[in-house]
Amino acid sequence: MLRLGRHEFGDDEALMMAIVNRTPDSFFDKGATWAEDAAFERVRLVASQGAEIVDIGGIKAAPGAEIDAAEEKSRVVDFVARVREEFPTLVISVDTWRAEVGDAVCAAGADLINDAWGGADPELVDVAAAHGAAIVCTHTGGVTPRTRPYRIEYDDVVRSAVDDTVAYAQRALDAGVAKESIVIDPAHDFGKNTFHSLEITRRLGEMVATGWPVLVSLSNKDFVGETLDLPVGERLLGTLAATSVCAMAGARIYRVHQVTETRQTVDMVWTIAGRRRPARAIRGLQ
Amino acid sequence: MTRVALVPGCLALLPEYASIDDPVDELRSACLAAVAWLGEDVRVIAGAQGARVAAALLAEVGTAPVTSREAAYLIVGNGSARRSEKAPGHLDPRAAEFDDLLGKALTTPDPEALGALDQDLAAELWADVRAIVEAAGLLRDVETVAVDYDDDPYGVRYWVARWAVPSA
Repeated sequence: MLRLGRHEFGDDEALMMAIVNRTPDSFFDKGATWAEDAAFERVRLVASQGAEIVDIGGIKAAPGAEIDAAEEKSRVVDFVARVREEFPTLVISVDTWRAEVGDAVCAAGADLINDAWGGADPELVDVAAAHGAAIVCTHTGGVTPRTRPYRIEYDDVVRSAVDDTVAYAQRALDAGVAKESIVIDPAHDFGKNTFHSLEITRRLGEMVATGWPVLVSLSNKDFVGETLDLPVGERLLGTLAATSVCAMAGARIYRVHQVTETRQTVDMVWTIAGRRRPARAIRGLQ
Repeated sequence: MTRVALVPGCLALLPEYASIDDPVDELRSACLAAVAWLGEDVRVIAGAQGARVAAALLAEVGTAPVTSREAAYLIVGNGSARRSEKAPGHLDPRAAEFDDLLGKALTTPDPEALGALDQDLAAELWADVRAIVEAAGLLRDVETVAVDYDDDPYGVRYWVARWAVPSA
């Protein structure tokens, strides 16, 4: 069983986490949902497309203008409350590394803290525990939040990802976060070059084998773009191919821009893997 | 022997071929009700695939086929699979007439007509009637209790029917 705040899911379910940016400068949508109403429309859309989770972020991952905690909170806290009010069945995740922001959004109704920066703020696990929220434990190779990887190498990137995320998960457990509310994420492209992200994808089964539910965030990222030599905006097919590989390995949560396309891809692979029934099969069985 | 039922050998009824959205939900309901109505000690008359369907249906209602006692019979068979252009065996214009005769003989019931079915034609029409012909004699002293299903949703003609010896 997977428990994300107020919501529970079976171990055979694959979940769509739709990205909702309350930022003026994120790489994919370039501020399309910066305005609160536009972001809310995005929540409506992805909910109608069947996303189980929305991941609301107030700061883009890449380097840029300094956004302090007060500004980050002003972008996400009231928005979380509004989404909580209108979509009681939706899991609300907030993409933040700051404990102060995590505390405020959980008070406003968030179910899940998606710490994309690998536990940079040690008090984040305490916040999750205090609110009964779930947490995503990512691997970044120890980089500072909002920095790009530069000449980072690993003896074994998958070993590093497994060791660091499992250690982070243990830290969350020790802080009092429920066992069924801890998710690990190898964090493609975070502290990794394209070769690292490809290897993480190829060997994702080793992360799944830890027993912790695995989240993958592949959507339109640079490792897809560099692999296919395609700009942002033309990376959907490459994203879906990587998604298929991760789904076959058993990744449970998919952080995505394109919900419908990813859902179909994961449903198809999940069914090939024997974890889901066909929707409606009669051919040759009449 | 007091009770006899017929179900089709539709493989979509098997649990290993289950879908999220059951394409044969009405057929399945009718089959399960008929099989439950047979009670325990059910002897199955079917080919190898049909026997699997029968065993799955019996298991679903909490029983299993028997070979010794013969309290009730479950026959597995169906009409033509060549009833339309989209049918498994494509359209054979003879299928409709064949199925009409078969359907009438089943629902009446008319054991002589069932025993005399043209099995060569049945084979050409992809109709699974071997068990029906074999069991025709069972329908000699019974009357039809109900025809619970009579349709061809996917180009194959199915019947779910129940018969019983009239109470004195």
